[in-house]
Amino acid sequence: MKKVNIIVVCGSGVAMAMHAAYKLREHLENEKIYDVFIEGTGNNNLAACIDAYDMVVSNAEVTVKTDKPIFSAIPLITGVGEEELVKEIVAKVKEIREKNNNS
Amino acid sequence: MQSNKFDTFTISESLILVNEEIETKEKIIKKLGALLFEQGFVKGSFTQAVLDREVVYPTGLKARVTGVAVPHTDTEHVKKSAVAIATLKNPIIFNGMGAPKTEVSVFIVMMLAIHDQKLVIDILRKVILIIEKDEVLKEILAANEPQTIKEIMQKHIKLVSKK
Repeated sequence: MKKVNIIVVCGSGVAMAMHAAYKLREHLENEKIYDVFIEGTGNNNLAACIDAYDMVVSNAEVTVKTDKPIFSAIPLITGVGEEELVKEIVAKVKEIREKNNNS
Repeated sequence: MQSNKFDTFTISESLILVNEEIETKEKIIKKLGALLFEQGFVKGSFTQAVLDREVVYPTGLKARVTGVAVPHTDTEHVKKSAVAIATLKNPIIFNGMGAPKTEVSVFIVMMLAIHDQKLVIDILRKVILIIEKDEVLKEILAANEPQTIKEIMQKHIKLVSKK
């Protein structure tokens, strides 16, 4: 089965992205979603690698033009609105998984 | 004397300021940066690098309890990992992480100095996790001594390290 690929993006470095990615992985595992590949990167690297991913979760403004779904990573850091965000991401992962299976 | 060293980074009274009266984010970044520099944790280039980064990628975070800012920069400016902390008497405006046009009223500044990319996750997991812990933030805001804040941090870090 094809994995759903998620890229988590931070400002200049990767510090916050790695933390947010870690939290997201924990959340998805709690939701029994294991067929995802989550990676952190810096904003300056996003344009070069975005094609390889199904979804962007970012704590920086995404300036790269893309039609891929973009979520804010901030709730993963502050805890404010975290539950809602995880629900939205879980729904999107399931939607992408469905699409992958049918194609 | 009790050691200030956690396994990978330092939190010490000498890096903590309580109820600071200061007007701007630039001033508090310079003040915390100077503490880290004087005590040998960062290179001379650190503070300017943090200031520059804050302009492009601001670090204000609106937690449930209060605004928290986590100014930081790349590992190349750091010699030994540490966290410098300030609580503020009056709030300072930082711009919001991920939303540079928004403003966050900040009462707690946690400046992160991390010298090794491999330590990032460990340090963030232990320190940044505080931002979503309402009770810990409240305790930090109520503290009147650097020693108290250090103890609150130690208690929290011990708790999350067990997991």
